[in-house]
Amino acid sequence: MPDPFERLFLEEYPKVVAIAYRVLADRSAAEDVAQDVFIQFHRRVSPGDERAAGWLHAAAVHSALNVIRGERRRAQRETAHAVDPAQPPVASPERLVVEAESRREVRRALSRLPQRTAALLMLRYSGLSYAEVATALGMKVGNVGTLLRRAEEALRKEVNRATPE
Amino acid sequence: MRHLNDGTLRRIYDEPLALTALDQAHFDSCTECKARFESIANAARATATLLSVPGFTPEPAAALRSVRIRIRADEAGRPRRWYERWLDRSSPRFRPIATPAIAVLLAAALLTGVTATGVAQGWFRVYAPTTVAPVQVGPSDFAATGALLDYGEVKWLPDAPTLHQLTDATAAAAQSGLPVLMPASLPQGVSGPVSFGTISHATGSLTFDAERLRASAATKGVHVNAMPAKINGSKLIVNAGPALLEAWGLSASASQVQMPTLVIAQTRVPTVDSTGATATELEDYLLSQPGVPPDIAAQIKAIKDPSTTLPIPIPRGLATTEPVQINGVQGLLIKAVLGAGVVWQKNGVIYAVGGQLTPDQVLAIATSLH
Repeated sequence: MPDPFERLFLEEYPKVVAIAYRVLADRSAAEDVAQDVFIQFHRRVSPGDERAAGWLHAAAVHSALNVIRGERRRAQRETAHAVDPAQPPVASPERLVVEAESRREVRRALSRLPQRTAALLMLRYSGLSYAEVATALGMKVGNVGTLLRRAEEALRKEVNRATPE
Repeated sequence: MRHLNDGTLRRIYDEPLALTALDQAHFDSCTECKARFESIANAARATATLLSVPGFTPEPAAALRSVRIRIRADEAGRPRRWYERWLDRSSPRFRPIATPAIAVLLAAALLTGVTATGVAQGWFRVYAPTTVAPVQVGPSDFAATGALLDYGEVKWLPDAPTLHQLTDATAAAAQSGLPVLMPASLPQGVSGPVSFGTISHATGSLTFDAERLRASAATKGVHVNAMPAKINGSKLIVNAGPALLEAWGLSASASQVQMPTLVIAQTRVPTVDSTGATATELEDYLLSQPGVPPDIAAQIKAIKDPSTTLPIPIPRGLATTEPVQINGVQGLLIKAVLGAGVVWQKNGVIYAVGGQLTPDQVLAIATSLH
């Protein structure tokens, strides 16, 4: 018989890791963030808390966004450009390098957005419903669509600013 | 009634069934809202492409083992890491809903932004189905050579669609960008775990090439009607998917082939844009080609507006169809000996429910999806 933490873990882990993965585009880093989130959760929240799922989703997106913000700051200090270790260029080297670079560029743009804007985008594009997004970010479900629309515009502008045609 | 706001239109794209009856009635009759919806949907598609990541199936059991080990090791106490301190400060329940600075930035983005993608000037939409219609087909109808003719260069931009099989609902929703739908209850005989399949969104182009068609027809020894000058060189851009399939009753054993007892499928409506030829010109030309049975050509020509109708192939003599109402829109009920199905389109998504069920059971599932 699984204990309440285990039940919650098995139910919510796929969502938590999906959120982190959508932000980081790196499987291994996403698994690390997801596990850190659950360990923090274990320390401070009861698995029976009705806000447990919302807490986990929000912690996952904020923690993952902080990782890419940290990477951006690090990249500003360093000049090295290593290929994404999660996507080793084995089969089609040029293609994989271009795709990895494109994903990194989008993540850099994401890291420049306000935290809440980026969080809203990533929660929704990780597959959470509008109700789940609203719970995680403490907003009304009726406002999710409007803010999501604006967040999409903000991301588009940030990407265009970084890669002018 | 006032027009629907951007937020409501944006939600229709993600959760097409969440609209209130009043808003749905307005949307169905308002061309302005539909045009704004199309622009919003284009922006959402562009964002989905920007944020796409390769497929990944989580492994909760292995992760749980790892977390258990870390929790045990963690009990001893140690200096807090940066993200723990951050989590303390920014625990979601304590975060402000929105700061004025963010609100101002979002408002500026909305006012100054332009549509991210969309149909560029010089292109026009030749196909975007809003209704479904049956087309009776026989087993030998497409055995002829027509389907194998080379009409021009086909390109995927950048990749052909891919199919992923999953067992996890969250991963399926995340990969497809479509909500996992569940019926209010399952009929007797339908049980067990649900299997999921996702098909990625794909954009493909076909550039008509009269010379390639002539060469291909000569190789196969068939006569084709000359490609009209307006079609030759014109380009079609096809946008299809993503799609999400949910199936009950599939065997876990790969050696055992089993028909699912229930399938729920949804896909965003495919669209076709053209640089030159119109929908009618394309239809007239393609339906006159060898390999297209005259009976099927006549049925498609009989469809009042082919640019907004999705033809559903119905095996002749094996199934019958009738129009039905599904949550306020017209659908097509298909009755066969072994089962039944229903197909409908609502708010830019095509839905299908079918299986080894009676027509009443299929309709009950279709109308209760949430």
